[in-house]
Amino acid sequence: MNYLTRRLLTFPLVMFGVSVLVFVAIRLVPGDAITAMLGTEAGLLTPEQKAALASYFGLDQSWFTQYARWIAGVLSGDLGLSVTYGKPVLDVILDRFPLTLQLALMAMVIALGTGLPLGVFAATRNGKAADLGVRVLAMIGQSTPSFVVGLLLIYFLSVGFGVLPAMGQFVPLWQDPLTNLGQMILPAITLGFAFTASVTRISRSAMLDVLSDDYVRTARAKGAPARRVIWRHALPNALIPVVTLSGVEFGYLLGGAVLVEQIYALPGLGRLVLEAILQRDYALVQGTVLFIAFNFLLVNLLVDLAYVALDPRIRLGGN
Amino acid sequence: MSLVRALLRHPSGRIGGCIILLFLLAALLGQLGLTPHDPLKQMRLDRLKPPSLTYVMGTDLFGRDVASRVMLAIGQSFIVGFLAVGIAATLGTVLGLTAAWFGRLWDGVVMRSMDVLLAFPAILLALLIIAVAGPGTWTSVTAIAIVYTPIFTRVVRGPALSIKTREFVDAARTFGSSRRYILTRHLMLNLVAPLTVQVTLALAWSLLTEAGLSFLGLGTQPPAASLGLMLADARNLMEMAPWLLIFPGLTIMIGILGFNLTGDALRDILDPKTRRAMA
Amino acid sequence: MKLKTAGKIISTIALAAMLGTTAFATAASAATLRMAWSQDATGLDPHKQTAFSSIRLLELIYEPLVRLDDKLEIVPALADSWAFADNGTKLTFKLNPNAKFHNGAKVTPADVKASFERLLDEKTGAAARANFLSIASIDTPDDVTVVFNLSQPDVPLLAAMAGINAAVVPASEIEAGSIGTSAVGSGPFKLDKWEPNAKEILSTNKDWAGGKVAYDGIDISVLPDETAILASLRAKQIDFALINDPLVATLVPNEASLTLNRTPVLAYHVLQLNPSRAPMNELKVRQAISCAVNRQEVLDTALLGEGRITGPLTMPAYQSDPETFFCYQQDVAKAKALMAEAGKADGFSATVIVATGEPATAAAEAQVLQAQLKEIGINLDIKMMELNVYVDTWLKGDFDMAVALNGGRSDPYTMYNRYWTKAGNLQKVANYIDDTLDSLMQQGRVETDLAKRKVIFAEFEKHLTEMAPWIWLYTGYTYTGQQKTVDGFVSSPTGSLFGLTTVTLKP
Repeated sequence: MNYLTRRLLTFPLVMFGVSVLVFVAIRLVPGDAITAMLGTEAGLLTPEQKAALASYFGLDQSWFTQYARWIAGVLSGDLGLSVTYGKPVLDVILDRFPLTLQLALMAMVIALGTGLPLGVFAATRNGKAADLGVRVLAMIGQSTPSFVVGLLLIYFLSVGFGVLPAMGQFVPLWQDPLTNLGQMILPAITLGFAFTASVTRISRSAMLDVLSDDYVRTARAKGAPARRVIWRHALPNALIPVVTLSGVEFGYLLGGAVLVEQIYALPGLGRLVLEAILQRDYALVQGTVLFIAFNFLLVNLLVDLAYVALDPRIRLGGN
Repeated sequence: MSLVRALLRHPSGRIGGCIILLFLLAALLGQLGLTPHDPLKQMRLDRLKPPSLTYVMGTDLFGRDVASRVMLAIGQSFIVGFLAVGIAATLGTVLGLTAAWFGRLWDGVVMRSMDVLLAFPAILLALLIIAVAGPGTWTSVTAIAIVYTPIFTRVVRGPALSIKTREFVDAARTFGSSRRYILTRHLMLNLVAPLTVQVTLALAWSLLTEAGLSFLGLGTQPPAASLGLMLADARNLMEMAPWLLIFPGLTIMIGILGFNLTGDALRDILDPKTRRAMA
Repeated sequence: MKLKTAGKIISTIALAAMLGTTAFATAASAATLRMAWSQDATGLDPHKQTAFSSIRLLELIYEPLVRLDDKLEIVPALADSWAFADNGTKLTFKLNPNAKFHNGAKVTPADVKASFERLLDEKTGAAARANFLSIASIDTPDDVTVVFNLSQPDVPLLAAMAGINAAVVPASEIEAGSIGTSAVGSGPFKLDKWEPNAKEILSTNKDWAGGKVAYDGIDISVLPDETAILASLRAKQIDFALINDPLVATLVPNEASLTLNRTPVLAYHVLQLNPSRAPMNELKVRQAISCAVNRQEVLDTALLGEGRITGPLTMPAYQSDPETFFCYQQDVAKAKALMAEAGKADGFSATVIVATGEPATAAAEAQVLQAQLKEIGINLDIKMMELNVYVDTWLKGDFDMAVALNGGRSDPYTMYNRYWTKAGNLQKVANYIDDTLDSLMQQGRVETDLAKRKVIFAEFEKHLTEMAPWIWLYTGYTYTGQQKTVDGFVSSPTGSLFGLTTVTLKP
């Protein structure tokens, strides 16, 4: 079996595992399944009402049957009903998802847009003061949690410069792109901060690797201009680890959005997960977690496919 | 102890090591109650005092000494971090070794289960666990441990597999080394080395996660001191008392930096492959 | 059959189900008041909601028969006029003939009757049910008159009817079982859209019988963080905001373009003990707690002193000097002695529930109280909960202690009969039955002479603080921040935002 086929085959298997884990986790919530499903509202039900609900949702049947019913629903797009929103979970998720996606994409653009040039720059100045400066900055950047970045940013902008980060009254991109970008830029910087640092570090070391490779040396020896060598020969090869990193990080950006959306009061998927947990809306917890995990897996799969396209050696080899 | 010496020679190792030592000392003093002030004592006359000689990091809304609380909070972070990473490393090593050793079905079961755990963005998996178990210190420990177990399992399984197949035992023998020397040396280099690096990085991550979860109100509960909680409390007081934000924020940052630097240095020292890139 | 019940339960439980679908295209016109608050409503049933955040919203959508103005005087709402007759056993209302519900139907005496019957039905679980138990029957002689026949003289009844928990809802909606899922009121604003935890879109009710509102609607954003609210105000992204956190409120006047409204409120901050659980069932333990608490210190720390120490009665007409109450001056020695007498010299551990953000200072209050009670050996374990989880736990009485911000009323009887009478519908929350309190309540209810009522309730208050089922702390202020372009807002001691109806927006 070659790598590609195996990779495509494991995707549904892992997704199945994820669904089982999420299903079981929610059943482990202390208290009965009705409480798990309805959250605090369940406290207001009489025992008879609870029994009626239990039989309606098939909770009196075996876990296996329940899982089968649930997964059948999930496959047909039915993630259940959110108690806090009184709407199907999928509707709520799809309402919130665009913002988080936009945030993650913007963070990614910022990270790649600053990280790559910085990394390449540092690599070409290997060992010099500029390189050291970039590396120290990158190290610090990588070590600063998003919520610290966000809070310090808000503090210094509002108190130090009197510039106020725009929070609240969120305007979707399609309504007013300019206002929207104005609102999203700080959160995106916050979310992409540590990622920028990682990109800088990875692209620097990948670039150093490539620059010491024979063909680059050969190109140099042949008298090709340094800039041309870097951009035409070295960079494309140095990109491979950056692509891998980006794929993995993209998923983390989706998760990291929890904190950033909380700090900037953005109504995205991350804050939705958090609210669902705090308000004990378990159908919503179940749905959002499954949704994010699915996207995470999907992005990883796509990255692996892109990886294969970039580097033909993998197609033949194993792991 | 050549490792320590190597670490001290490495520039990031030196800085990272110093930071960790300093933090360990602060945590130890905090846990022993040797803080400048009682971190839980509310001094009613000294509320929201800016940093001064008496209170080097100022006092909070309750008149509690921020510096003492930061020391206590570092301890809390370390307790959570060491416990969680310890559990994850032990569990991961056992799973990774057994997976490599028994192979076949067990290997498949373990590694696919780990794939499932890795299918969640880390913070999300932690949140799911908290949703089930309810917020609190022990839940944070469990969550961080579960998130990191698959990573340790993977780190251990690879080298364990190659030790089992004796790939490099054979390779080394051709160079004429003794069998026992080969086994210990390679076990050390190929298993312990990556594990050490991973433990250091995991500690950095657990510091971050503990603070993040507490910041969201899902980790350590008041009045216990936690860096994340201190930051969350500082939000509404940001303009009146910026020191409440700045000191805990910097502490988290520097702490994580210490572990990251050390981790990087260890990787350079222990992993021959990266030596070239560092040169 | 079972399926049908289940479906019905789901439809009743699912809050605001259909609202999302009737979303109007948000025509962001200049004449919309942009508003923000940090706590969202927890539900839409005006009879059942007890959370302040819900009441603040519902007061804009629903109307009671009468309402309280900013001086706590009773003024017309749905009813134009009213009169007691037959020695206070008959209360007659004349409805405003122009009053209409948002669905276009006239507000009829039949709607009033159906609403009060729903309130009185024990199955409804209405929050203010205990206030209306004297209603024996309701007559609707013509299409503007409602007559309440009372089983006994009930002076506070009128004041009780002035709350949104006694809102008049359409009989047709009661019939359809859709109270709580849709919001068809008769008030100045219609709820066009509700996205829980995110926003509400209200449009002005052009047919409102109460007058004309000078703008087209209100867009409310839920910004869970009060610093974000302040930032939005400064950035002129919002015109008006409800601010809960005194720490944030004090920063508003620093900005030249902003105005802060600060009004003392009737709501009180309290540490509720649960006298049905050991050792809080011991009078001496409760009294020890009362003596151990330093109210001024809690106020100074958690609210930066933004408030006033109070006994149970917070309405100006009935207030007494707090110094006269049992142990209102902290006395740790006495507290320790009381603990020893109760056999608890070594102290004990208890859990206190606290809602996140309601009040904003709750977590801080809990931590100060925790430190103070530790002095007499009581170890408090603080349990933070999201508001809806907290309210549910609170309603079930499932706590050792609770830090709470409870609503006040203009009349002592309507304010407290739900907790301290034997028939009180929040008896389960108070968990404390006391004959003296019950009989004083009954006396106060039928007494028509104000001077005599004051004596009765002063006695009630003294007894209550001495029995210490709860530890009353202080009352705070309600804060709203607004742009200087917003004109004419009148704030009320009830915390109501009804004053928004008289606002004009300058360009």
